[in-house]
Amino acid sequence: MTLVTTRPAPERSPMSTPRPAPDGPPDPAPPPGLDVPAAFDAHGSALLGFAVTALRDRALAEDCVQETFLRAWRARATFDAERGSERTWLFAIQRHVVLDALRSRQRGPRLVEHDDALEGVEADVADPLERLHLAEGLARLSDEHRSAVVAVHLRGLSYQEHAEATGVPVATLRTRVFYGLRALRTHLDEGGPTDVRSHA
Amino acid sequence: MSDPTPDRRAELLAAALADDLSPDELAELDRLRAADPTIDAELAELGGLTETLAAAGPWLDASPSDELRRRVGAIGADDATQGRAPAAQEAPAAQEARLAPVTPLAPAAARPRPRRLLTVLAAAACLVVGAGAGALLAAPRDATVDGPPGTLGAVEPIEFEGAPSGVSVDADLVAHTWGTETVLTVDGLPAGDAFSVVVVDDEGREHESGAFLGSTVEVDCRLNAAVTREHVATIEIRGADGEVAVAEVPRVEA
Repeated sequence: MTLVTTRPAPERSPMSTPRPAPDGPPDPAPPPGLDVPAAFDAHGSALLGFAVTALRDRALAEDCVQETFLRAWRARATFDAERGSERTWLFAIQRHVVLDALRSRQRGPRLVEHDDALEGVEADVADPLERLHLAEGLARLSDEHRSAVVAVHLRGLSYQEHAEATGVPVATLRTRVFYGLRALRTHLDEGGPTDVRSHA
Repeated sequence: MSDPTPDRRAELLAAALADDLSPDELAELDRLRAADPTIDAELAELGGLTETLAAAGPWLDASPSDELRRRVGAIGADDATQGRAPAAQEAPAAQEARLAPVTPLAPAAARPRPRRLLTVLAAAACLVVGAGAGALLAAPRDATVDGPPGTLGAVEPIEFEGAPSGVSVDADLVAHTWGTETVLTVDGLPAGDAFSVVVVDDEGREHESGAFLGSTVEVDCRLNAAVTREHVATIEIRGADGEVAVAEVPRVEA
């Protein structure tokens, strides 16, 4: 008798890492400096999600992402792949960019559209710095892990509902959520707040 | 009872955290908890995290717009096509021009420029740093964008006049989409005394831009006002006794 397992394949690390360019060599040596278009393709969405979620302002978030790549470009000679991945480096830069933007905004009154007023009030319930750390932690998860965590614990879907919507087995979604939450817990414990406060 | 696979343990904990266990799974988890006391601790730890997540507000998925892709793609484009090494190079003027419409959030340092001291004297005894609303310790100045006064992100030197003897003020403005940033380097003001920076617009209205304390050392600070550069007429530094120095800035078109 042949047993067919429905157990999901082992998940890769929840904290996603850069992927090689599809048409490039299999494992290219990191080029000196920064390949901005490739880095943007690999990390732009996650960086933008981080900024939008932390700031709740799409235009400001896009400015932050551009500023992140501008700062990275200027500092590209200092990037050392042996000390950390390009993704980690970009997130570290963006953390400070977003923090600067938060502080600038907090210094003055903020105008909101009437329709957004309630959402704005709700969003302000959470400490912006805490939201920044959580947003960064979520953004640094792989798309798959983040999607599962967000669906179940932020949107309140059941695993079955999310499985039906995505076609991903419930067992896979559960393991993604577990490892995603654990990676997020580690991110928060290891330095999100400490890093940010040290630059306050 | 045999040990569960790591993934089975993960599945059960994830389901428990979402209150999604079937009766059979609940019984299975109870058996695991009896054999493995770390499970309760992990459930408590991750349970606290899920509560924090739920209270933090929604995650906002965002795909970069074509415009953002174009703006980011312009960064370093000239260097990439010309195969230049990354270190020790100035951004070409053409590249800076492409970046000009963007608001740099915090200009950083690269090209120090000569200081323009209004007056210099060696008397001041101060200490401390900028403080108060809107004041931030400044990074060294950096011309991220070149252009005439009013160019977004460009550093525009301005001249303060009327400072008391012994007080030097070196200042720049940076135009942003959200307002105008004043970058100050001040020396010689009495330590501990509070000074405010006020932006007066072209209709005479005053806009608080922030405050700082006099110090025994040179004070660097950045202060922001919610008035766009084309409406800025003067910048004033004020102390408890009134105006300390004022800078009239050139008129720029919107």
